[in-house]
Amino acid sequence: MAQAALSLPSQTGGARPAVRSARRIERRRMLLWLVPPIAWFTVFMLVPYALLFYYSLGQAEDMVFTPGLSLRNFARVFTDEPYLGVILKSARIGLMTSVLSAIMAYPLAFCLAFHVRSASLKFVLYLLVIVPWWASYLVKAYAWKTILGTGGILNATLQGLGLTHEPVRLFLYNEFSVVLTLTYIFTPFAVLSIYAQLERVPTSLIEAARNLGASAWEIVFRIVLPISVPGVIAGGIITFSLAFGDFVAPVLVGGPDSLMISNIVINLLGVAFDWPMAAAIGLVIIALGLALISLSGWLEEKTQVRL
Amino acid sequence: MTTGIELRDLRKLYDGHGATAWAVDGVNMRIGQGQFVTLLGPSGCGKTTTLRMIAGFETPTSGQILRDGIDITDQPVSDRDMRMVFQDFALFPNMTVAENVAFGLRTRRMKGRFSDAEIRRKVAEHLDLVHLGSHAGKRPHQLSGGQKQRVSLARALVTDPDVVLFDEPLGSLDAHLRKVMQIELIRLHRELNKTFIYVTHDQDEAMAMSDAIAVMNVGKVMQFGTPREIYDRPASRYVASFIGHAHIVDAVVAESRSDGLMVRLGNGEVVSLAQPAKVASGQSVGLMLRAEDLSLARPGEGELHGQVADSLYRGEYIEYVVELTGNAGLVHVHEPTDLPPFAHGAPVALKVNAQKAHVVEA
Ligand SMILES: Nc1ncnc2c1ncn2[C@@H]1O[C@H](COP(=O)(O)OP(=O)(O)O)[C@@H](O)[C@H]1O
Ligand SMILES: [Mg+2]
Repeated sequence: MAQAALSLPSQTGGARPAVRSARRIERRRMLLWLVPPIAWFTVFMLVPYALLFYYSLGQAEDMVFTPGLSLRNFARVFTDEPYLGVILKSARIGLMTSVLSAIMAYPLAFCLAFHVRSASLKFVLYLLVIVPWWASYLVKAYAWKTILGTGGILNATLQGLGLTHEPVRLFLYNEFSVVLTLTYIFTPFAVLSIYAQLERVPTSLIEAARNLGASAWEIVFRIVLPISVPGVIAGGIITFSLAFGDFVAPVLVGGPDSLMISNIVINLLGVAFDWPMAAAIGLVIIALGLALISLSGWLEEKTQVRL
Repeated sequence: MTTGIELRDLRKLYDGHGATAWAVDGVNMRIGQGQFVTLLGPSGCGKTTTLRMIAGFETPTSGQILRDGIDITDQPVSDRDMRMVFQDFALFPNMTVAENVAFGLRTRRMKGRFSDAEIRRKVAEHLDLVHLGSHAGKRPHQLSGGQKQRVSLARALVTDPDVVLFDEPLGSLDAHLRKVMQIELIRLHRELNKTFIYVTHDQDEAMAMSDAIAVMNVGKVMQFGTPREIYDRPASRYVASFIGHAHIVDAVVAESRSDGLMVRLGNGEVVSLAQPAKVASGQSVGLMLRAEDLSLARPGEGELHGQVADSLYRGEYIEYVVELTGNAGLVHVHEPTDLPPFAHGAPVALKVNAQKAHVVEA
């Protein structure tokens, strides 16, 4: 007994510094764990953004970069032709793509969520939505060339049916074909995002509505659609962003005047060697993107119903 | 023409997954207008399937559903004018409580039937009926489970249907709230004169609320009758053991008269019953002995003898587990707590209430 009582104080006395040093080691080890993410963030995020900002403040004279501290390039984004106009046009194409994608995606996601009862069929359909992503983007864009072109499938069909007598040129090399191609390529994102939201709607809600005498339309417009708004917004933001920043479709299926902002940036970088201007456009777009994401995040939050 | 709902040889086989067992296997039932009928049975016995066929959510594989004599087996859900109260409440999360209740009054098919003012009045009236008048503007997620169930009830009742279907509506509520809601439902049924078809696996709930109970097992109705019939005169061993936890002891009919029976247990002891004879002498039967129909006495003062195997203090009573002599079986006995207790292992006699003891098929 006495021995145990005697040994107690020395034990606790000894334990405290031990705990403290253990904590110190723990903390050091924690820092070690933090090194990779911090390094990653620095190398791939901070440094590039800093460089982008550094370049955007300088000038390109005779294709040679001279550092500087001027905000002139940012002003030029909004005043010089064609930058602002092209940004707006890209936004318009992005918006049309996201709206069309949502319209294309919604019925499919709806079917997948509510009408396909068999789990295996659901899986197959889900796979069919994703599978096109295993094919190269370029191949898919080229495919539209062969469909819409003057010697393409669409024109051949129209002529075969006697509806037109010579190839219609309206289908290809304009904004229509760009939006069509982008919609085709990015619709799966809208499908997945809307489907994820619709999956959360319990079937008992739909049964309850039917039981209360609602028609199919009333169920869609008064219950399913309101609940799925956040999924539509999320999908819309993804398709908008992807379409807005696209540079392949305008080159392959777009007309001479349907260049988008990414094409302009590529030209500034690779042809005009005006890196400062390219950097300034990039930063403006990043700022716009951040604003858009904040807005959509807020909207999603606002429209999300608690199930 | 009969008013009410009639199920004729209703069967359901779910297709896919190589299902071979009938979920519902030949259910026949007549439910009169204004009755409170409960489908009672263990999980998976086909209660929900039966209810969903009545509501129109599932198509019967065979058989018919009649409403006031008219075949409604193939009528679409939205035409049936029966309202369902779901176990998970199924409230529309994008609407307020008042909008949820108004939903059934605002569908296209109801267009023109009620003015906006009438709809507001009806909604307010029904929210008051379920004591939720002050919650009209809330969203479902802001309500407690009991409140959600009340909204779902108001939403079902506001359109004034003749038939209301309930699928374990109190299943997700705690025990206290369940009792409160049971009383509420009985009150509503009494006031509204609507047919209530109610599904539960809780026999106390079924006993307390129903005019009639259909005890189900593996897709079949084992017995359909009033709670008293089901409890006092179970038609089979299954019903007897499912309702009121009866203990059944093997016995043989010693004597069968028109006004009563004598049965002999495995240990040779004899019990007389007031049950009218439907069984012949010499037939093997199960003797159903419920705890409240037995009382303990000193050896020699009752028909049956045994030994106290266990005693459990339950507060309201002491529950004794008694092993009958000669391994004839095990019974439970409830005794008032103020009587002198019997010790573990003590030899005891059992007095049997001849009016209540009952035999079922062996
Ligand atoms: N949608 C379904 N698909 C396949 N089998 C089902 C389905 N619903 C229920 N069952 C099966 O039918 C039987 C009866 O189920 P159910 O009517 O839900 O029973 P209860 O409501 O009495 O618990 C069960 O064996 C169950 O597994
Ligand atoms: Mg069930």
